[in-house]
This record gives sequence, C-alpha cells and structure tokens, in this order.
Amino acid sequence: MELFLQTIIDGLLIGGLIIIVGIGFSLCFGVMHIVDFAVGEWVMLGAYAGYLMVRYFGHDPMIYLPVIFLIFCALGWMIYPLIFRAVSGKGHNPVIMGLVFTFGLSILMKGGALSVWGYHIQSITTWLSGKGISFGVLTVPALRVSGFAFGILVTLLFMLFLYKTKFGIIIRATAQDRDTANLLGADVRKVGALVYSLYAGVTGMSGVLIGALFSIHASMGTKYATLAFFVVVLAGMGYVPGVLVAALVLGLLQSFVTVYIGGRYTLAALFLVMYGVLLITPKGILKRGI
Amino acid sequence: MELQAAKAETLPSSLVWRFTPLTLLLVISLIYPWIVSPLWIRLGTEVLMWAGLAQSWNIIGGYTGYLCFGHGAFFGVGAYITGLMMINLGLPFGLGLLVSGILASLLALIIGYPTLRLRGAYFAIATWAFGEMIRQIATILDFTGGAFGLQMPSYLNLPYFYYVMLLVTGLTYLTTFLLLERARFGYKLLAIREHEEAAEMVGVNTVAIKNWAFALSAFFPGVLGGVYAYWVTYIHPDSVLGAQITDFMVVMAFLGGIGSLWGPFLGAIVVQLVQRVLWLFWGAGTFYLVIIGAAICAVVLFIPNGIIGLRETRIFHPREAISQLRKRIKW
Repeated sequence: MELFLQTIIDGLLIGGLIIIVGIGFSLCFGVMHIVDFAVGEWVMLGAYAGYLMVRYFGHDPMIYLPVIFLIFCALGWMIYPLIFRAVSGKGHNPVIMGLVFTFGLSILMKGGALSVWGYHIQSITTWLSGKGISFGVLTVPALRVSGFAFGILVTLLFMLFLYKTKFGIIIRATAQDRDTANLLGADVRKVGALVYSLYAGVTGMSGVLIGALFSIHASMGTKYATLAFFVVVLAGMGYVPGVLVAALVLGLLQSFVTVYIGGRYTLAALFLVMYGVLLITPKGILKRGI
Repeated sequence: MELQAAKAETLPSSLVWRFTPLTLLLVISLIYPWIVSPLWIRLGTEVLMWAGLAQSWNIIGGYTGYLCFGHGAFFGVGAYITGLMMINLGLPFGLGLLVSGILASLLALIIGYPTLRLRGAYFAIATWAFGEMIRQIATILDFTGGAFGLQMPSYLNLPYFYYVMLLVTGLTYLTTFLLLERARFGYKLLAIREHEEAAEMVGVNTVAIKNWAFALSAFFPGVLGGVYAYWVTYIHPDSVLGAQITDFMVVMAFLGGIGSLWGPFLGAIVVQLVQRVLWLFWGAGTFYLVIIGAAICAVVLFIPNGIIGLRETRIFHPREAISQLRKRIKW
C-alpha cells in the first residue's frame, strides 16, 4: 500500500513538471500548426543557461527563472522570422517544411551544445536539493514538490493569459481560424511570433527545473522531446487544457510501469501507448485536439 | 520534311547525352574498388548504402508526401532478421537478404494500413513512435541479444560488400525509375501527394496505392540492413535502430531534393562525404552536427527543392546566379 501511494505521488510530481514542457509545445501547434522538433533542445539550452548563471553569478538558480524566461523569449522572437519564412514558402506543404526546419534546428542546437560543452554531465544544486517533505508515512523530495507546484502555477498563469487577456483572446481566435482572425484584424505573423517566444521562454524555464532535478548534458533533449510529444499526442494536438490531464497520465504511467513491471519496459510502454492513441483517437484521449 | 530530318538527327545525339553520364557513373562505380585504398572502399560502400536508404525514404516521403520518421525501423529489422537467420538457421547470405526485404515489406503493410490514415504531422509522429518502439522492443527481447546485440560470423572482403551494396542500391534506383518515373503508379503517388481527395475523386484507389508505396519503400531498407549487418558483423539496437538512421535518410533526401530520382543520391554523397572528411581531419568531433543542422535549415529557407532544384535556377550562369541569389536572400 505504501509503495502504491509512493508510486502515485512520484508519478503526479513528475507529471507536474512535464506540464510546463508540454503546454508551450501544444499552444505552438495549435496556433501555428508547427511541430517543433527542437522542443527537447530548448529544455537542454534552458538547463545549461541555469547552470552557467549559477556558475558565474552564484546564488540560487530559482531566482534566475524570470531572467531565463526573458532571455528565451527573446531568442524565440529572433528565430521566429526564419520559421515563418520556412513554412510560408509557396508550392510546398507548410507542415512538412516546418517539421524539417525545426528538425535541422534541433540538430544544430544539439551539435552546438556537444561541441561547446562536450559529453560532461553537470548538475545544479538549489537550496531545496536533498530536503524532503513528509506526508504521514511518505516522504517526497522537496525539489519535486516545488517543481510540481511551479508547473501548476505556470499553467494557471498561462490559462489566465489565454482566457482573460486581450492577447489571449487574439491567440485563441488565431488558433481557431487563422484566416478569419486575420480578416478581423489580428496580425497573424505577430501572433505567431508572440506564441513562439512564449513557448521558447516557458520551455527554457522548465529546463532549469529539470536540470535541478535530474542531470544536465547536451543530449538530454531527446528524452524530454519524447515526453513532450507523448503529452501533446495524448492531450490532443493543440488543445492546451488537455496537457494538464495528459501530463499527469504520463507521470502515473511512467512510475507504475517502472515500479511494477520494470525500468527497461518504461520507454517501450510509452511509445506503445502513444502509437496506439494516435491510431485509435488521433484527437487525443479527450477528443478535443485539432 | 526538314524538321523531321532534323529531329531524326538530333534524337541519337540527345540519347547519347542522356546516357553518357549514366554509363560513366556505372563504369566508375564498377572499377572503383580496384583503384582506391581500402579506406575509400569503405567510404564508397557507406555512400552507396545511404544513397539506397535515402532513395527508399524518398519513395514514401518525397513521391507520396507522407513524412515517415520511423523508416530506420525497417533497416534495423532487416539487419536483425538477416543476422538471426544466418546465426540460428545457417541460411546463406543472399536468401537472408531476400527474406529480410520481404519481411520488412510485410511489416510495412501491417502497420501501414492503420498508420497511413493519419496525415501530415500526425503520420510523422506516429511513425516516429513506432520506430522508437521497435528499438525498445529489440532492447528488451532476449533472442535479439538485448542491448548487447548480435555478433555475426565475419567475412572480411571489402570489395565483395561494395559490390553487393552497389547491386542493391542500383536495384533501388532502377525500381524507382521504372515504377515511379515511368509508370502510372508514380503518377498516382504524385496525385496523392498533391491532393489526396482530388486523387480519390478521379478514381485512384488511394488506400491501396499508399500501402503499396509504403511496402515498396520498406523493402530496400530491409535488404540494405541485412547487407550492413553482415558487413560490419556486429549490430546492436543503437547502431541499426537508432534515431540517427532515420534522421540521416531524411536529411540526405531533403538536401538532395525530395521527389526526384537523383536528389537522394546527391544528398547521400554530400552528407556522407562531408561528415567523413570532417571526421578524418578533425577527429571524432561533433562539429559536423552543427554543419549538417545549419545545412538543413539553409536548404529549407533558400533552396526548398534541394541541390537538384538548383539546376532550374541556372546557377552556372554568373550573372543569373547573382541575381537569383539576391532574390533569394532578400528578406
């Protein structure tokens, strides 16, 4: 029973962290119909940014989160014109061009990180590292709880932004019908740039938390790209609220398979579920995707 | 009358022009192992293998317009089947290759039927999940040797593998030429790529055609995987089922130009040679990834038709080339 509870809590906590990675990615697909293959590389660059800031300026990585958010927003804003150019070429399928362009971007980022930082594994220590919070019989690492709390917080802020502000309404309108939104006066290109920079910022920020929880190395991106793809497929591609449910399902699936079946079956199970969901309900388990 | 005579005169010369490069290519590729060092035979074999793999991806990704991001799975399945049959059943190499190709095609037919209903990004992600799943399964199972892989009987004869690779890749290109460039099958695939509903309206059985194209595109990676397994004698899940196999197929096909016969060939030569030359001169660095990534981005941005598309821009006329370049770089 204790193991069962522990497994559930571990799963939920991991899921909370994955929400942050999935949410920007899902919005990015919903608004621009771009599947960003570089999602894992944004996580990796965020983790390295956190690591470097701690190394050069000291202090706790948590206080750098807003700075890293702004830096990655700026990076996303700068890269977006290239993506827009790639997907708006005439005579080619925009989805395919977007896929291949971001695929090239991910190879570029990964290769750059490997060339600059090599294969060394780094880690970030925070004031929460090594501490635990106990709930009755169970003890969970404080860092994971704070990661989970942060994930929920970011999601709530994101939802408030999407549903309560004027920008959010414009973004949702663009996601619903690009051409009509354009006719009604929304600058679709600027909306895309805003969404992409938000996505890069949020994903980069999640990298710092992931780096603090797990290890940092240049090829860590693939793992988080897998998780982000899984979450978005399960949630229904482009359906942002579904990410919350899907990320928690992912966390639970991962921890249950690891504990009760065996660690080496985890990835196989993830891919099997992902493939199955795509075949059976391509719009996600909530049937709300686009 | 005069016109007809002129036509009759120019026809043979155009035929000569057409076949001279091909004949030269064939002669060079046939005598290649006799004039170079073993290192370059290895590189040549690698280039041939990648040319075949990129072309097989091109059948489904370029001609049909379905981006398959799990094509490496067929390569790996072929490598494992040939390996297992040679080790456990003692079958001859050639028969192993044939069975690998057929089983890879069969696998493609089985998964193609449900998967090809998805389109665009959904198909790409589903095939990617499938490819990774196959890799995980190969890592878990016992008879595939798990994460340690298979050790094959070794046969050290570099020219032999070069010629086998040449034969299989040559067959890949011949099949593509005959079935996709010169038969109705190819036109049906192009119709599906350009507008699937319209193709269905005019009477193309899109489900069947897509599935046959997928099976065809899986046959050659299966065979090439078998050749690769016997050639390097040691395979494990990361080397034959890793994501980098699919990645390079896509990269090469795109760099050379998708949906064209010679594009993947050019792409394979460029990517493989650049990678190996960088590796030879700068050691086993990772900088080649930066170059390849930047090259893909540049190709998508500036020459979306790939290297083969440059032919139409008359890049060899200096003034034309400069004005074209100006036009392309203009933001």
